[in-house]
Amino acid sequence: MSNILLLEDLPEIRAWLKVLIKQVFPNAVISEAARVHDALEMITAVKFDLALVDLGLPDGSGVDVVAALRESQPEAQSVVVTIHDDDDHLFPALQAGAFGYVLKEQPREQIAEQLNRMSQGEPPLSPSIARKVIKYFAEQAKPHPKDNIPHVSLTDRENEVLLRVAKGYTLPEIGVQLNLSRHTIADYVKQIYRKLNVSSRAEAALEAQRLGLFGRSR
Amino acid sequence: MPHRPDSTLQRALARSAAAALAGLTFWLGGPALASPADVQRITSAEVVLADGERFPEGATPVPVGLPDDWAVNHPRHDGTAWYRVRFAVPDPIQRGDLLALYVARVCSNFEVFLNGRRIHSGGRMEDPATRNCHYPQLVTLPGGLLLSSANVLDLRVHGRAEQRVAARERAGGLSELRIGPYADLAALHQRELFWNVGAVQAANLALAVLGMLMVGLNRLNRRDPSLTYFGLASLAWAGLSAYLWWRDIPLDDATVEFIVCTALTPILALAVQFLLSHAQVRSRLLEAALLAQCVVLPMSLLLAGPARLFLLASAWYVVLAGEAIAAMGLCLRIVWRDRRGAFWPLAAVLAAAAAVLLAELAVQRRWIAMPDVPLLQLVLPLLLIAVAVRLLVSFGRSLRQAEDHRGLIERRVREVTAEVERNFAQLAELRVEQVTEKERKRIAADLHDDLGAKLLTIVHTSESERISTLAREALEEMRLSVRGLTGKPLKLQDALADWRAETVSRLGQANIEIDWRSPPEDTDELLPARGYVQTTRILREAVSNIIKHSGASHCKVRCAISERQFGINIQDNGRGIPMELDGKLDRGHGMSSMKHRAKQMQGQCLVESGPGYGTVIRLTLPLGPDAPASAPR
Repeated sequence: MSNILLLEDLPEIRAWLKVLIKQVFPNAVISEAARVHDALEMITAVKFDLALVDLGLPDGSGVDVVAALRESQPEAQSVVVTIHDDDDHLFPALQAGAFGYVLKEQPREQIAEQLNRMSQGEPPLSPSIARKVIKYFAEQAKPHPKDNIPHVSLTDRENEVLLRVAKGYTLPEIGVQLNLSRHTIADYVKQIYRKLNVSSRAEAALEAQRLGLFGRSR
Repeated sequence: MPHRPDSTLQRALARSAAAALAGLTFWLGGPALASPADVQRITSAEVVLADGERFPEGATPVPVGLPDDWAVNHPRHDGTAWYRVRFAVPDPIQRGDLLALYVARVCSNFEVFLNGRRIHSGGRMEDPATRNCHYPQLVTLPGGLLLSSANVLDLRVHGRAEQRVAARERAGGLSELRIGPYADLAALHQRELFWNVGAVQAANLALAVLGMLMVGLNRLNRRDPSLTYFGLASLAWAGLSAYLWWRDIPLDDATVEFIVCTALTPILALAVQFLLSHAQVRSRLLEAALLAQCVVLPMSLLLAGPARLFLLASAWYVVLAGEAIAAMGLCLRIVWRDRRGAFWPLAAVLAAAAAVLLAELAVQRRWIAMPDVPLLQLVLPLLLIAVAVRLLVSFGRSLRQAEDHRGLIERRVREVTAEVERNFAQLAELRVEQVTEKERKRIAADLHDDLGAKLLTIVHTSESERISTLAREALEEMRLSVRGLTGKPLKLQDALADWRAETVSRLGQANIEIDWRSPPEDTDELLPARGYVQTTRILREAVSNIIKHSGASHCKVRCAISERQFGINIQDNGRGIPMELDGKLDRGHGMSSMKHRAKQMQGQCLVESGPGYGTVIRLTLPLGPDAPASAPR
């Protein structure tokens, strides 16, 4: 992790997060931003490996930054750092391409641990998010007579993992239950996040086309 | 039944038909008639066609048979005629018995003289004379004037020549005379009076009432003009029939005859219009023709003069009857085509009416004898009443249909209104919900952005571990409160999954072994947002205690769901809560706040602890719609 974007409007928290990041990734170059506008400008200039994005910002939502980063730098990992722990805030960010989320008020060690895991490709997945993902894909699987969305569907294994998470099992437990390595389970979760993002983007594009935003150019 | 030489089959038929139609059968069962032997019938007389206060003794009387029809025996005679008959008191009758003279018909009026003394007068003898043509006459023969034999009875009769009247029954004439016991003849008289006058009056009165009713009904509801035509025709006919029983009309004979004849045209016009509109036919041409006829007929009568009234009226009767019968035929044809079901009753009534009209024509033409009841004036009203009843029934039926229809429409309107109201209420409710939801979200966002940010700053900037822990807890509390504020009910199954994930994850990070078992079967029980939040707090506190204070290496969680409640038992194998600690350090362990929260949801939180055998926390909460946790506070 060399280039890290830190988007946070509260100066104290930003400073605190910066210290934390330095601890976890000692060699990282940290670009700080307090506003969506600044963050979007930085995205065009710098190539990032990781972005820590707050959601509620003075000039907009961090979800836009997540989406922009996903669009321009697909390799970069976005992690939502937020005070909101509810699905209504988190799910849109995950759809936009966020790779995981960190709740800000957690103790330093816990956040450090989570960041570490994510950097190693082990994103978190809570039961309520898992339920929401299941619901989302079930909705997508329904036949839409007029749409020709290239359907993104989950594999049986991915579904299995999701269902178990939704029932309250932790990822390590599921690994034991399915006799899979921790690494493999993490891959499934990453794959689920990716598919959520791809499907959401296809849906958004279709929605935009339906609204006539791109209708003329076709 | 009285027997008269000219009584015919038609008369009997007409009478029984009328009786059947009227339903006046009671009269037929009246007292038995006196035996003919008691009643002396006088069928011949001497007549002198001259006026005078007394029988003109000087003139030569001409013998004549009774009944004496002036039109036949004394053509063109108009005015007064004197009749003389002689009779002896019948043997079986004692002198003390009351004796009476019965005259079935004398037209227009008469006076009776017994042995030279005037004993009876029917009314005015000068023009306009009293019209007694339809009134049978009963004259008491005073015993004091009677001789044992050779009594002389003089009758002064005032009458009109047939040429000057519009109908044969009003031409001058005298029926046969009957002399007999008063009681017998009075019964006969009463009966004849009833059929000739009473029944006609009753029938026409009923007809008039029905006519008024129908005109009134149609004024209220103008859908069917045929009702008005029928009502007016009925009223007019009932009015016209007054000449039959109204003896002293204060108009001279010529005028009355003219009016009676003239009045038939509008009645006929109304009747034809009724028949046409009943068949739903309308012809302007016919209407105009009928109106024109109402003018032409009186003009022709005026032009011809009173002396040729009968001739012309008879001709007109044929025309009018023809028109009526033609209209009936047309009406029946159309009804046959359009409303087969209504045909036969109508056909029966109209056929009877046509038969009566034809019979009346035949009487006027002298093809059949004059019946001793006024056939047309008695039977026609009855037929009209039958038609009226039928019309009223169908009117009532259509009224009821309209009512039913209206009821149906009203019900539909009520249903639609109720639905609109329901939808509106739902919409309003939805709107309130939306507004409430929006407001809650706004409050939640404000709390996060403002209070949340400040607490977060304290968490991460405070030097004191205790303060940052408190701030972190405050932040968690805030977040849970916000969730309780905005949250929707959660499936208990999902809540259990959330709790499990959090507990397992936290204890796992603290290297404490965890054994969590929740019921495998799915339940549809819902947990209100507050219940979820409070339970989350209790559970979180318990797990914190285990991690911080218990020093346990193992933790067992058991969940149970029953219909009315669910319970969670959390057991660790730590050192337990020391007795001296319980109370002093309770705040740090949060036991009292856990108990308080459980109590708020009307649940229970029991803590069992002892040094050496760990701690058991038993949490029980009520479930279902009555659970207090479902009520937002």
